[in-house]
Amino acid sequence: MEIDLVGESLKFMVLGMIVVFVFLAVLVQLMKLQAKLIEKYFPEKEPAPVTAKPAVSVVDDKSKMAAIIAAITELKKTKS
Amino acid sequence: MKLKNFFLMLMFVFAALSVSVQASEHAQEKVTQEQAAQESTYEPKGIGHMLASFYGTTGLKAILEPHEGVTNGEGEEMSLFAQGWGRVMMFAIIFLLFYLAIAKGFEPLLLLPIAFGGLLANIPIANMTSEHGMLGIIYNMGIANEFFPLLIFMGVGAMTDFGPLLSRPKTALLGGAAQFGIFGSLVGAAALSQYTGMVDFTLKQCSAISIIGGADGPTSIFIASALAPELLGAIAVAAYSYMALVPVIQPPIMRALTSKEERQIVMKTTRKVNKLEKLLFPLVVIVMTLLILPDATPLIGAFAFGNFAKESGVVDRLSNEMQNSLINIVTIFLGLGVGSKLASDKFLVMETLGIMIIGLLAFAAGTAAGVLMAKLMNKYSDEPINPLIGAAGVSAVPMAARVVSKVGSEEKPGNILLMHAMGPNVAGVIGSAVAAGVLLSIFK
Repeated sequence: MEIDLVGESLKFMVLGMIVVFVFLAVLVQLMKLQAKLIEKYFPEKEPAPVTAKPAVSVVDDKSKMAAIIAAITELKKTKS
Repeated sequence: MKLKNFFLMLMFVFAALSVSVQASEHAQEKVTQEQAAQESTYEPKGIGHMLASFYGTTGLKAILEPHEGVTNGEGEEMSLFAQGWGRVMMFAIIFLLFYLAIAKGFEPLLLLPIAFGGLLANIPIANMTSEHGMLGIIYNMGIANEFFPLLIFMGVGAMTDFGPLLSRPKTALLGGAAQFGIFGSLVGAAALSQYTGMVDFTLKQCSAISIIGGADGPTSIFIASALAPELLGAIAVAAYSYMALVPVIQPPIMRALTSKEERQIVMKTTRKVNKLEKLLFPLVVIVMTLLILPDATPLIGAFAFGNFAKESGVVDRLSNEMQNSLINIVTIFLGLGVGSKLASDKFLVMETLGIMIIGLLAFAAGTAAGVLMAKLMNKYSDEPINPLIGAAGVSAVPMAARVVSKVGSEEKPGNILLMHAMGPNVAGVIGSAVAAGVLLSIFK
């Protein structure tokens, strides 16, 4: 039997577009839901890291300095 | 103690030497036997005779004097045309592809390896596309089993930022509308073969061709090698050349379907997206694929893995690898492997012309459907949506989004639509992977 190609492909089109749209529509709803839930329960602390950062780096610098000085004195000792 | 060690070592060295000497004696015996065998079949010839028989092994003769009984890499007999003029025509086409890739900058990363693979595939006698030829090995290694496109998808996933989509979720529907390019051209392909008789496509072949409308190279190759491997070369070349032509194909369609006021719409800036949202998104997509369309898992799974690795932030080494070295290596193999299907006997057929026409139709239909959908959304949405961003729903990341942004800023300088267009653009990638999954599930 000769298959009606156009008829079949029209059916494919209906099925395909429905699945694509349903998939994306559900995805849209999930994205909205997810955004709401995350906003509510896990809000991102925006300003916190900005203020915390310099403090951390100062401490870091100090300890780094100490380490460098210690290393240099150690080196001098071993050389002399 | 040291002395003892030294002696031990010496003993080992001697032992190893004696073994290798024996082995080489063995090998020599073999060689002399082989020589004897060869000498018995080799007959001395005059220099004229030798030159003549050498001419018989040249490519010049193979092209100038095609003869019956010559087989291609797969062991099928080649027509006289495919051996002679067909090859010459293919060389011309390949040089056109080189020109487009190098001088015009048309997707050079893929067109160049594909064209070079085509060049190698059309060399007579060498049989590069056979099972033991370089191109054949590459093809069987990762294209026949649909592996390379998935690796590319993984890299694309690791490069994709879903932020713009997450900040305005409903633009995902535009990426769905643009998939009309796939299914519309599926009907077009069916009509072409049913009513014109120019070509004779089966439904599987129609589906494989229509996926060009997804404007997604790896997806096209994936589906073509699954449904219609005989058309792979033409489909891949059409997909990548039209993707490169997006800046030429899309703007006229976008302008024809929208009014000047619509094109000048300025969209609100998008909200900032929480990191956790981005991290969870690939998992959400995977769960949906698992529930609705497991057939799309290979494509979406690889894509989601790449994206998850990137957004997790703890495996930067892996995600960098996927985005750079891995995708580059696979691109070389993918290009050469696809090029192996540009052999004259496979490419110079009426079907190729049909594929080129349908591919163009598919791109146009996808763009139009995306723009129309965006117009509709603009009418019924509370916030203004510039209909131009619908054109970015055909995947072709990020080219389509750039084109949208360019057309938008031409209409109204300073109106930057790029980030707004990236939403439908990445949704288009998911949409075309879903459409591909539907087509695969039909032919199961």
